[in-house]
Amino acid sequence: MADSNAPKPSSSVKLVLLGEAAVGKSSLVLRFVNNDFQENKEPTIGAAFLTQKCNLPTRTIKFEIWDTAGQERFASLAPMYYRNAQAALVVYDLTKPTSLIKAKHWVAELQRQASPGIVIALVGNKLDLTNTGPGGGGDADGAGAEDSGDARKVTTEEAKTYAEEEGLLFYETSAKTGYNVTEVFTAIANAIPETSLKTARGPGASHAGGRAEEQRVNLNGPRDSNAKEACAC
Amino acid sequence: MEPLSDTLWDVVICGTGLQQSLLALALSRSGKKILHIDPNEFYGGAEAALSLQEAEQWVGRISSGTGGGLFRAAAVSRSEDDTRLSPSRAYSLALAPTVIHARSALLSQLVSSRAYRQVEFLAVGAFYIFKPPQDPAQKPTLARIPSTREEVFSTTAVATKSKRLLMKFLKFVLDYEASPQRELWQPHADAPLTDLLRQEFKMDAELQTYILTLTLSLDDRISTRDGLAVIHRHLSSMGVYGPGFAALYPKWGGLSEIAQVSCRAGAVGGAVYMLATGIKETESTDDGVKLLLTSGDSVKARMLVRADDSPNHNQLSIRRLVAVVDSPLSSLFEAAVEGAPKPAVAVIAFPVGSVEEASGTESQRPIYLSAHSSDTGECPAGQTDALDLALQAFLRAVPEDRVPKVLFKLQYDQLDGGSESLGSHGPVFTFPTRSSPLSFDDSVLEPVREVWKKMMGDAAVEAEYMVFEDREGAVDDDDVY
Ligand SMILES: Nc1nc2c(ncn2[C@@H]2O[C@H](COP(=O)(O)OP(=O)(O)O)[C@@H](O)[C@H]2O)c(=O)[nH]1
Ligand SMILES: [Mg+2]
Repeated sequence: MADSNAPKPSSSVKLVLLGEAAVGKSSLVLRFVNNDFQENKEPTIGAAFLTQKCNLPTRTIKFEIWDTAGQERFASLAPMYYRNAQAALVVYDLTKPTSLIKAKHWVAELQRQASPGIVIALVGNKLDLTNTGPGGGGDADGAGAEDSGDARKVTTEEAKTYAEEEGLLFYETSAKTGYNVTEVFTAIANAIPETSLKTARGPGASHAGGRAEEQRVNLNGPRDSNAKEACAC
Repeated sequence: MEPLSDTLWDVVICGTGLQQSLLALALSRSGKKILHIDPNEFYGGAEAALSLQEAEQWVGRISSGTGGGLFRAAAVSRSEDDTRLSPSRAYSLALAPTVIHARSALLSQLVSSRAYRQVEFLAVGAFYIFKPPQDPAQKPTLARIPSTREEVFSTTAVATKSKRLLMKFLKFVLDYEASPQRELWQPHADAPLTDLLRQEFKMDAELQTYILTLTLSLDDRISTRDGLAVIHRHLSSMGVYGPGFAALYPKWGGLSEIAQVSCRAGAVGGAVYMLATGIKETESTDDGVKLLLTSGDSVKARMLVRADDSPNHNQLSIRRLVAVVDSPLSSLFEAAVEGAPKPAVAVIAFPVGSVEEASGTESQRPIYLSAHSSDTGECPAGQTDALDLALQAFLRAVPEDRVPKVLFKLQYDQLDGGSESLGSHGPVFTFPTRSSPLSFDDSVLEPVREVWKKMMGDAAVEAEYMVFEDREGAVDDDDVY
């Protein structure tokens, strides 16, 4: 275990992305982790997961962010993907109503299958395409979407009401401008219950609880050494 | 995103069983354009792990004769008491509950390819042997098979005279390929292992049975050559990854988990995944194959890789039964030695003749029961899933306060595929299929490497097979192992 002189406790949190293809999931991660955006292009994540720290006043949360790697395109995400996730970002595109329906499906799926106590944030992305977002006109209600140049098809009201009913965090974001992106992750970090946290472990480790850790066999253990030694957990 | 039909795929992989999934992992850094499909709605093919609902649907499909592949005679039943079952998704019942010995090349490949980081491995604990009662009024018992020197010393299940023979044999096997051991067994190489045990080691029937059990073979006439190889693997795997255990089991459904992790590695490398999609028609073209998928898409590929699903003369390979019982069976899952991880799997062997079948005849084949604790993540806490016809006898034999009850049962027969080796017809490659044995058999890995070599052509560097760096983000300086 890393026992540096870090003043704050640090915990690792598995966060998964869910939502229809092309709503901007990978883009949100790239904005959060690298502060970068790629126009008209699917960002290549090319990693099993990306890590990014979130510093809170009393603790540090290290997000292990798992991207779908495109497996959502044909509804082919494996159970191992969202298993043991402590947080989920369920994303829809607020210019595409069907993507909110998909998002609701994912929320239901998580509520059925994910670990109890998972923190879910509902995120309406591509706010820059509306004129109600930052840089746009109007108020945040989403009313008056008739104006030319406003591609919004899902009102803030509708999504927010749904999020409140289901007990989800809710944000409207733009991966393109970066608006509200860090805020979503910080809000999630704050919402992770203290009890489900444990000190940082190896990447990809399960978060199912302390006992499982004791049981886990470490393949980086004492291979070929004298069998007498305990595994280096 | 471009439509599937606009791409000329380097390879279409059909099926997400272990071999196809490992191929996807092997090709995950090759830059090849890969479309990976599976007619099932779940990953893992014959090695899948199913929720209760998926198991019921799967049985339905096999029974209706559609898409059963090499599976037959599937049946499923719930106890009347099924309110005590948790929601369907709380279960992931492994169709092939294979354990992996520490010395298996599969583990080396998972480590060198870095795929192991996403898999949680648990220890496989003791191997037991089922002993029918001498007197029918008594309970049957389970005796632990000693497989290390320490265990032989401490066991009370074996008489002192037998202990010496056992010790001598274990020492012999650990170095069996060297001289003079080799000279001792070679004349018996193709004869049943029991001949060697009887003639050269003077073992009685009981001791022979103990040794035979360590082969985990369904053939009680396993040859000396094959038997010694398996026992050697078992003994030399002992303690490799920690004290007190020889084999590992991936949490959440065994090989299914390895298939899922491998496919994810494929996806991260750019492969496109489609479940619930099979091949309707295959047509050879000048430079590959044209496929009509059940999704209605028509795609072109240079190569097609799939698994053999035409059975071998309907010859039964293995019959399996998966049962969920309402007891944690805690007595089976105690750590063997101090400092050992708590095991999540125990193997119980029922030698030939130890169980009486319904007809009153004694069992003709060895039966193995693999008991999984809820720590495998395959069933909720307090329940266990176990295998086989010997289930009832086993449930009476376990030293628990009450005889556990069966809550859910899934049963099926599995056939082997007809072909013995990798099939190759122009651009179409077909993996040979064998039902997974109790302990993972490395021969499964070879055809995968062969296909990889064919695909990579001149770019294939054998030493780099399945050897990858961690991808960006996967390791963090803060983490100390
Ligand atoms: N205008 C705009 N485009 C975005 C935004 N986020 C993503 N995109 C674009 O939407 C497309 C799909 O994004 P991607 O991150 O690949 O979506 P994913 O399939 O959900 O991972 C890409 O062309 C992105 O450039 C955003 O906030 N605003
Ligand atoms: Mg993406």
